[in-house]
Amino acid sequence: MNKIIHTVPLVFFGFLVAFLFFSLGNKNDQLESVLIDQNFPNFSLTTLEDANRIIGKEDIVDLPALVNVWATWCITCKVEHPFLMSLKENSVINIYGLNYKDSRDKALITLEQDGNPFIYSIFDKTGSLAMDLGVYGAPETFLIGADGLIKVRHVGALTPVVWEKKFSMFLK
Amino acid sequence: MIPEIGHILLIAALVVSFVGSVLPFFDLASKKSYSQSYIKPFSIFLFLLIFFSFLTLIYSFLVDDFSLTYVAENSNTLLPNYFKFAATWGAHEGSLVLWTLCISLWLVAFIYSKKEVDNAFTSVTFGIMSQVIFAFLIFTLLTSNPFERLLPFSPMQGSDLNPSLQDFAFTIHPPLLYMGYSGLALPFSLAVAAMMTNNIESSWARTSRPWSLLSCSFLTLGIGLGSWWAYYELGWGGWWFWDPVENAAFVPWLISIALFHSLIVTEKRGLFKNWSLLLSILSFAASLLGTFLVRSGVLTSVHAFALDPERGLFILGIFAFFIIGSLVIYSLKNYKLSPTSIYDLTSKEFGFLLNNLLLVVLAVSIMFGTLFPILYEAYTQGKQVSVGPPYFNFLIMPFAIGLGLLQGVGLYLGWGQTKNFSFVSRVAIEASVLFIFINIVLYLLFGKFNSSAVIASLLFAWIVAGNFLDIIIRGFQANKLRVFISARLGMIFAHTGIAFLVLGIGVVSSFSSEKELILGPGDSYDLEGYSFKFEEINFQKGPNYSAQVAKINITDQEDTLTLISEKRNYTASNQTTTEAGIIAEVFKDYYVALGENVSNDNWSFRLQIKPFVRWIWFGALLVAIGGFISSLGHLRKGS
Repeated sequence: MNKIIHTVPLVFFGFLVAFLFFSLGNKNDQLESVLIDQNFPNFSLTTLEDANRIIGKEDIVDLPALVNVWATWCITCKVEHPFLMSLKENSVINIYGLNYKDSRDKALITLEQDGNPFIYSIFDKTGSLAMDLGVYGAPETFLIGADGLIKVRHVGALTPVVWEKKFSMFLK
Repeated sequence: MIPEIGHILLIAALVVSFVGSVLPFFDLASKKSYSQSYIKPFSIFLFLLIFFSFLTLIYSFLVDDFSLTYVAENSNTLLPNYFKFAATWGAHEGSLVLWTLCISLWLVAFIYSKKEVDNAFTSVTFGIMSQVIFAFLIFTLLTSNPFERLLPFSPMQGSDLNPSLQDFAFTIHPPLLYMGYSGLALPFSLAVAAMMTNNIESSWARTSRPWSLLSCSFLTLGIGLGSWWAYYELGWGGWWFWDPVENAAFVPWLISIALFHSLIVTEKRGLFKNWSLLLSILSFAASLLGTFLVRSGVLTSVHAFALDPERGLFILGIFAFFIIGSLVIYSLKNYKLSPTSIYDLTSKEFGFLLNNLLLVVLAVSIMFGTLFPILYEAYTQGKQVSVGPPYFNFLIMPFAIGLGLLQGVGLYLGWGQTKNFSFVSRVAIEASVLFIFINIVLYLLFGKFNSSAVIASLLFAWIVAGNFLDIIIRGFQANKLRVFISARLGMIFAHTGIAFLVLGIGVVSSFSSEKELILGPGDSYDLEGYSFKFEEINFQKGPNYSAQVAKINITDQEDTLTLISEKRNYTASNQTTTEAGIIAEVFKDYYVALGENVSNDNWSFRLQIKPFVRWIWFGALLVAIGGFISSLGHLRKGS
């Protein structure tokens, strides 16, 4: 009898570990699953560089490509900026910017000073496209595959380590 | 270069802790009884390696070395030096190194508190502690390395420390909390070592007791500071939110309280051995589970740690290894109850048993409430539910009442059987006097009665009468006041601290008043007879933020007090924080949080009066002081 009582905690914690193990598996992809393998949302906005040029989803060409959400007020964007530049300089992939809740003048000056890794930036002053993408904040990076579907979403700075882990396999 | 040295030191610590993890078990298996002379130098060496590694990380923060990913993501050139220093443990990676540093500090403290280390028990304890350190070091190095470089693309500027963490209370809250969390590894190691070396006589309990009490005291301080921080920094005026992360600290706190009370019985009477062993395992399990919940992303909470499933898996592995492993040993070793284990329903033993049952059932229910959303989601294929404060508030009431009633008289129960019940009437009379006095004061202050406040004041009176007043009175009568107090000093502090805590909670949840409204400069509002007048608002610049600073004058019949409430915008991350304006008095806090700018100079405000809220933290402080006095006293006597 005493023996049985003594195994109760063991059984209980055994179940707890198994349960947590499975809930861990469930939770992993939840943040991203909403967007993965979906089409990039439709939009109609101007470019950062030209306030008269209206663009839409069909203007994101030469896939696969990255869409990088950035802003001048976002310091983490400055952290990842040198790496974006290197991606451009080595012609690894096309990068489109999504300038998020920012001012046009400030953003253009920043690009001029620090370098512009983007083919062009979508100017999303009100955050409407960002809302459709479910953006939390800047920076975030999306990879659109050759088939036009979103393959990866990354929240936070894009670093070489993150690139190796999450992005590079889609380019081969 | 410096970060690489730190990295190498951490790897060296990993190697040392690995050797420390296996050596004692070879000795144990070979049954050789040669000198364990390596234990002392090993412990101190391990501690120093981790300590200097941690120093290099602090250094990297102080010199703005943004080539380190961790520094770039959590600091900024504009951050004041003090916060650069504290940013070292502001996020996951650095806080893990701190965690490991804390365990190695516990190890050193334990080993150096022993005159005699040449025995299997101490050596196996050392081995288990080394295993815990090894597990956390390998976790840090493989999944959360703070020394990872952002080369060759190092940024010129970093992202800044989360603004709400740029605060004094927050900077010391994590180290204290980690001391508490990681300290529970020591009673755990002692329990496992006791089982493995078949040494569960009272010497094990005597050794374990002060350490479990000491980690519990650190937990008390850490949780108390966290509560105080949330109160003035989050701008809601709440001091406890039943947030999963708070629960993750509260549950080990409850279990560690149960643990050292149970250890008293094991030490003094040789009873509850199995139960004390189990609680030693459970308290460390709760501590690890808390770590898992916070850092795996299984639960979402306001306490933002980077969510990474790989890390969650790793911590779960650590949890499974230590907890399942120790429970296997526990189920194999089955210690017979000693024949003298007969005790009466009126005995001190039974009092401790009730205390333990209440604490553990409460802890398990809170854990259940915290995990329930995940359970529910799993069973309903993704429907979400949240378990909020009403569940927890409803739950804790009967337990608090039961524990409080027990606490008032537990001291007077006799071992085996209580023969003399004269204490009941004595304490009851003292408590009644105190109870009436407090309620008169409360009535004079608030002009009405409230049932929760009456219950809380009853518990307060009962606990203070039994644990303080009666000791004083009897000590005075016996003319041995000094002896009466000094023998129980830690307990008097801790138990009256609980009484203050309970009264504070009861009063602040009954008599708080709150008003949300929009005011323009010159407008005023009367809350509970106090006039809050919005004088002016100004723009100010801080080192790394800009702020709107509102000046409010509060007037009662005679005095006028001035209060400053701020809303800060931290430039680097574009995040806004509320710095509530608070005037703290013994009996009440005036609390004003500045909201949004509605139009022109009109701002939304939250005005609050929080009576007795200070008593909560004052109580927690007393509890911690009592715990320190008592555990350090035992450590000095023991060893």
